[in-house]
Amino acid sequence: MTDTNDKSRIKAAVQRRKKAVYTPVVPDVQLGFVHNNVDCIGCRACEIACKDKNGLPPGPRFRRVQYVEGGTYPNVYAYKVNVSCNHCAEPACLPTCPTGAIWKRKDNGIVDIDSTLCIGCRRCEAACPYGAPQFIPEQNIVSKCNLCVDEIEAGRKPYCVMACMMRVLDVGPIDLLRENKYPTKAIGPNDEPVKAVRNFANPDLTDPSIVFVAHSKGKVQP
Amino acid sequence: MSPIDNLELLESRLRLSRRSFLKSTAAGAAALGSGALIRSQDAKAFAYEPYSRDDQLHTVVTSCAHNCGSRHMLVAHKLGDVIVRLSTDDGRYQLDGAYGKDTEAEPQLRGCLRGRSYRQRLYSPERLLYPMGRVGKRGEGKFKRISWDEALDYVAGKMIELKDKYGPTALLDQSYAGASYGVLHKSDQIEGLLARFLGMFSCRTSSWSVPSYQGTTTSSRWTFGTTEDGNEDDTFAHTKLMIMWGWNPAYTFHGGNTFYYMRMAKQRGCKFVLIDPQYTDSASAYDAWWIPIRPNTDAAMMAGMAHYIFTNNLHDQAFIDRFCMGMDAGTMPAWAANTPNGRENFKDYILGSYDGQPKTPEWAAAICGVAADDIKKLADLYARTKPAALKASWAPGRNAYGEQYNRMAAALQAMTGNIGVLGGCAEGVGKAWHAEAVAYPYDQYSNIWFASIKSDRWAHCVLNYPNVKREEVGLWQREDELDGVIPNIKGIFWQGSDWFNQLTNINKEIEAINKLELVVCMDSTITPSGLYADVLLPVATHFERHDVALPWYKGHYYIHRPKVIEPMGDSKTDLQIFTELAYRLGHRTGMGDRFGRTYNPKADRSYWDNPDPVDEAYLREWWETKVMPHQHVDMPWEDFKRHGVYKFKFDKPHVAFREQIEEGKPFQTPSGKIEILSSQLAQISDWTRTMYGYHVPSIPKWIEPWESLNSPKTEEYPFHLISPHPRWRTHSIFNNCSWLRETYEQEVTVNASDARRLSIRTGDSVEIWNGRGRVVVPVYVTERCMPGVLVLHEGAWLDLDDQGVDRSGNPDMLTLDEPSPAGAFAYNTVLCNMKKTNLRHRPGWDKLATARSHVFRRDL
Ligand code: SF4
Ligand code: SF4
Ligand code: SF4
Repeated sequence: MTDTNDKSRIKAAVQRRKKAVYTPVVPDVQLGFVHNNVDCIGCRACEIACKDKNGLPPGPRFRRVQYVEGGTYPNVYAYKVNVSCNHCAEPACLPTCPTGAIWKRKDNGIVDIDSTLCIGCRRCEAACPYGAPQFIPEQNIVSKCNLCVDEIEAGRKPYCVMACMMRVLDVGPIDLLRENKYPTKAIGPNDEPVKAVRNFANPDLTDPSIVFVAHSKGKVQP
Repeated sequence: MSPIDNLELLESRLRLSRRSFLKSTAAGAAALGSGALIRSQDAKAFAYEPYSRDDQLHTVVTSCAHNCGSRHMLVAHKLGDVIVRLSTDDGRYQLDGAYGKDTEAEPQLRGCLRGRSYRQRLYSPERLLYPMGRVGKRGEGKFKRISWDEALDYVAGKMIELKDKYGPTALLDQSYAGASYGVLHKSDQIEGLLARFLGMFSCRTSSWSVPSYQGTTTSSRWTFGTTEDGNEDDTFAHTKLMIMWGWNPAYTFHGGNTFYYMRMAKQRGCKFVLIDPQYTDSASAYDAWWIPIRPNTDAAMMAGMAHYIFTNNLHDQAFIDRFCMGMDAGTMPAWAANTPNGRENFKDYILGSYDGQPKTPEWAAAICGVAADDIKKLADLYARTKPAALKASWAPGRNAYGEQYNRMAAALQAMTGNIGVLGGCAEGVGKAWHAEAVAYPYDQYSNIWFASIKSDRWAHCVLNYPNVKREEVGLWQREDELDGVIPNIKGIFWQGSDWFNQLTNINKEIEAINKLELVVCMDSTITPSGLYADVLLPVATHFERHDVALPWYKGHYYIHRPKVIEPMGDSKTDLQIFTELAYRLGHRTGMGDRFGRTYNPKADRSYWDNPDPVDEAYLREWWETKVMPHQHVDMPWEDFKRHGVYKFKFDKPHVAFREQIEEGKPFQTPSGKIEILSSQLAQISDWTRTMYGYHVPSIPKWIEPWESLNSPKTEEYPFHLISPHPRWRTHSIFNNCSWLRETYEQEVTVNASDARRLSIRTGDSVEIWNGRGRVVVPVYVTERCMPGVLVLHEGAWLDLDDQGVDRSGNPDMLTLDEPSPAGAFAYNTVLCNMKKTNLRHRPGWDKLATARSHVFRRDL
């Protein structure tokens, strides 16, 4: 499908647009997620914990566990790719916002939407390659994962991370996570963190702050 | 306040939108005169709006309370009397706890998706807040609000009338572990509050078979003399080979941290195998070798494995000789030769000495659909890997002759010497160690019954009374003149139980319920069963009463459950209701206060208005006289309450039967051995006088089920339907929660080649039917399911159209109310057919839109 599009043209266009409207904030520490696609049982406790914490109605989901499956009976496989907002280094959502409601925090790199400024135009929703911004019809605004900044500021980890029954979802400084230097149970002793997996948009688009442990069938060429 | 006002209040309490909640917090802050201060603090975290952070809320440690198979911590964050969010164990609450502490010995008890969505159930529009009396027909769902006085007087009056008219078996106890599983406020078939209440009233027919795992329970009692055949969940981290037989811990969780310990095992090199018609999430997460198997043929495959192990001399003869009875000719007791039913030994049965049919892998392959080579490969792997865990889960036992599967598994576990060793497994039931489970009086009045039947035979009994043979209902034997007396059931009590929706063959139940004169439902929400009740009694949830939670059967800890919020509406606890009913019954029957006082000895009648001091007294006594001395706990009650959780630390992981194997302690069977030949069964000649009703071989054997993919009935009904436990509900509990319904849809799983043949695609609606009923449900097409098998999860809320077709997709419209001799429900022994339909599926009673999770199949 995507083969019909010329990726380099898209990239160039995105770059142009970003340059025109936005100078990325370079955070002191960029926080990001890690998710183990293989060991995740897909229970979605993380999703529900997030919905409960953020008081979301049915419909919008800040965190989305995608179920991937393939193969032909009886040689089948399955894995999960769990994504919320990636608090990207170059957020695609941010420059699209006409009111400046989206901003990136300097201290921890969290990308946040100021709901008092949001007019519900849903442009960010269209721009984000990962489906992170969620429209809430009852309030006519777009909202999304703010990395539980209240918990981060209280010195604790986000609700979804603390909910994970398998301890396969975690948060940490993304550069350490990428180098596998951050102590986390999400990455097992035989696992390698990677930036890109199948079923996840091309990370070159926004430099998202997330790494994965990929399933053998979910690996992509670097 | 009118019900309408109250609904609005409820909705505002629901706080499902952050903004509506904000109004009330902002008002509260202003009233305190410190709005500005709080706002500025909030502004630090949330630049865009004020929002209470956890540290500004009141934190209360509590737990979940259902029969899900686990018991996890929930931490309530309150504003006033409203729980505004829930979190879970983060390591802080235990003794020497700290934020983030999560060790292998004392892991965090993190709640699952159901627990995390509890606020939706607590504050749901389906919540029962007032007693209700039926005004329409049974099942029509028309009720009017009545007072507690009216409700209790009506129930008491009817109870007396039915007992006088029909005798001591007129009231059927259908209490179950559904909603009230704590040490004090307990709903249970045997240990429950209802059992004691009806027993003391001297009018009770009890339901003895357990829907989830009776085959397993009976099998473990025969084989090991106990149901405590389980290892603690941490032992799973030590196994080298884990055979998940019909087991999906990624769905059922199965203990506090079983699934997580299995991840540790994987990291330490353990290999996993899954034997199941479905490639489950457990298979993928543990990277298991998947062996798809025809449903209800597990015992045959196991017999094939046993044949391979015996004939290749891979069995542990020393273990067999020392610990087993009846495994082979050498371990047969001398007395067996003179018994009516105990003259065969297992090995000779497997080798075909009795029937001329060796149970070879090839023989098994023809039955179970697994290639003989795979059976051999697995048998070889299991016999050679030490230690290896064959975890025989409950689902394959919920079958025709399900007990044979469990007994066969025990034989394999024993012949390979994997019992009583760390990393092995003797489960079975899987109940690990002995928790102190009862904090209310458990005395001579507990579990009194005048008849006891197989739980799924009540409708049969009611419809055919008095022309019912005792074996048809599995009547438990008695030593008095009531032995063999068929119960004359005229009333049902549901406490913490949605059995009408959850037992088998619902159409037959619908017919039977209309013959009853009293149907009482005690629950915290309306249930499909409740729609058939005469009286609905609103029960306070575990957030609204004082209790202690114990793990369901794995995990070693207690969690304190204080009253987090005041009971909503007019709801009362079960114990309050039974106590007050006991007083009323006493006064009407000339006993005065005696019934009430004996039923609840620490209370007087004021318990109805304030149960708190009495509940505290029971719980403190339980902690101080049972938990502390029996379980060597030195944490005082007050400290336990302050912490909220007590986690036991064992010197070494708890392994079932370790003392028997290491120290030679006898097993709890009559012979003191692992009874592959059951002493009890060997002696029986008149089966009708036993609760089994029909013949049971005294050694594990393959018995052809009454319907399966191998039977001629497949011409009319070519699909075998199984109905596993869902992850997004606990049986039928939580079906009304929109957050959970977003994670799934009630749907039937169909193999892709079957779907192609029938031109069915994902999202189409189909009718599934057989001679017993019909349901409408959407389809999910996948390669992860065996051809010929349909998977439809149990627990959808019954929703009949005017033709009697269930639009919710409840599989128990199709199941048969024919239990196995040992009592195993045959939930997974169902043939049916399927076709595309224009009939409309309804995912729930409410008007929620449900969205299936994203499924990507990019390689197809
Ligand atoms: S994931 Fe999407 S919403 Fe989040 S920062 Fe990146 S582009 Fe924006
Ligand atoms: S970090 Fe918080 S807001 Fe973001 S997905 Fe996790 S729980 Fe939801
Ligand atoms: S809670 Fe953990 S295991 Fe469950 S779906 Fe989320 S990431 Fe996966």
